[in-house]
Amino acid sequence: MRSRSRQPGPGPGWLTLALAATVLLAACSGTAGSAPTAPARAPAATTPALGERVTAYDPARPAPALRLTDQDGRPFDLASLRGRPVLVYFGYTHCPDICPTTLADIRGALRLVDEPVGVVFVTVDPARDDAPAMKQYVDYYQSGFIGLTGSDAEIAATAEDWGVSYRKLESTPAAGYAMAHSTDTYLVDAEGTLRHHLFFGASPELIAEKIRVVAG
Amino acid sequence: MNPARRFSRLGGFLVAALVVGAVATGCSSSGGTAEVAITDAWARPSSAMASAGAAYMTIQNNGTATDALVGASSPAATTVEVHETVVMGSPAPGASGDGGMMGMQPVERLEIPAGGSVQLKPGSYHIMLIGLKEDLKAGDTIEITLTFEKAGELALSVPVKEG
Repeated sequence: MRSRSRQPGPGPGWLTLALAATVLLAACSGTAGSAPTAPARAPAATTPALGERVTAYDPARPAPALRLTDQDGRPFDLASLRGRPVLVYFGYTHCPDICPTTLADIRGALRLVDEPVGVVFVTVDPARDDAPAMKQYVDYYQSGFIGLTGSDAEIAATAEDWGVSYRKLESTPAAGYAMAHSTDTYLVDAEGTLRHHLFFGASPELIAEKIRVVAG
Repeated sequence: MNPARRFSRLGGFLVAALVVGAVATGCSSSGGTAEVAITDAWARPSSAMASAGAAYMTIQNNGTATDALVGASSPAATTVEVHETVVMGSPAPGASGDGGMMGMQPVERLEIPAGGSVQLKPGSYHIMLIGLKEDLKAGDTIEITLTFEKAGELALSVPVKEG
């Protein structure tokens, strides 16, 4: 078909393409309408000051009983650790963020103190965390951690005694399910008395400081 | 073919190239308007036996429009997703003890405002590496590719270290 323009250079077809290019550039720069946006998420709060990550039990009280199955499939009783301070933490092995962070903080604390300290990791996900799973998990930390599991009923009763809440969360198909759980670490002294309650984010330095307090 | 028509056809190709160029550069991280920078990226050491690992970083949006992290992949893991650890208030019915649980939820789309940043850190947003194919050992480096809505794909070399 004959072009309407008899002059060399851009004709109507060119103009359309040039306009299209301009519109595309504008769209890519975000000034044109874009996909519907979700509300912006506020960044998480910064870590509070050192002193806010721990409370003391006042008055101190005997630690609740802790009788479950250890990572070697043997019966465990917290009373067997009398004579040394013990840190008790509830979590699960499929936890990618909170539990590894806390156990790393605990391991860091142990490196800062001279006295032997027991560390007991209790699962709130006994369906996946059987004794072999707990063994792989605690062995990885190479710090003598004890991993405890049990039946659903035993875990539920233990969690209730220690004031720990937990529930199953649906997650993505790849992740399977996750667990919501209390993220506190309990510090028991060498006499079996519950002395301190450490919150998630307590630094290795803070944990070590409290270990020295109860060991001293 | 008359010179004018030949010139028109050549020009047609040039404009087509301009269009393709506009799409490629305007919509990619090397363009002037969509620009994302990653700083302080690190992954926590983890045993391959563990079901998942985590990586953290700060994402800075230096572009002029909101961008969003919408996907990720890594040769180190079968699936890579973004999750957020949040405080979850009430215990399950019948449970006792403190509330104040924490749990994680998937994040399909993590928005970063223009000129702003989002921090992925323990207890908050994190990259979850699901189905680790190898141990993540302190001192190693793993590759993670992030996909942004506007800035496109960004490949990172992430050091594995104790946090």
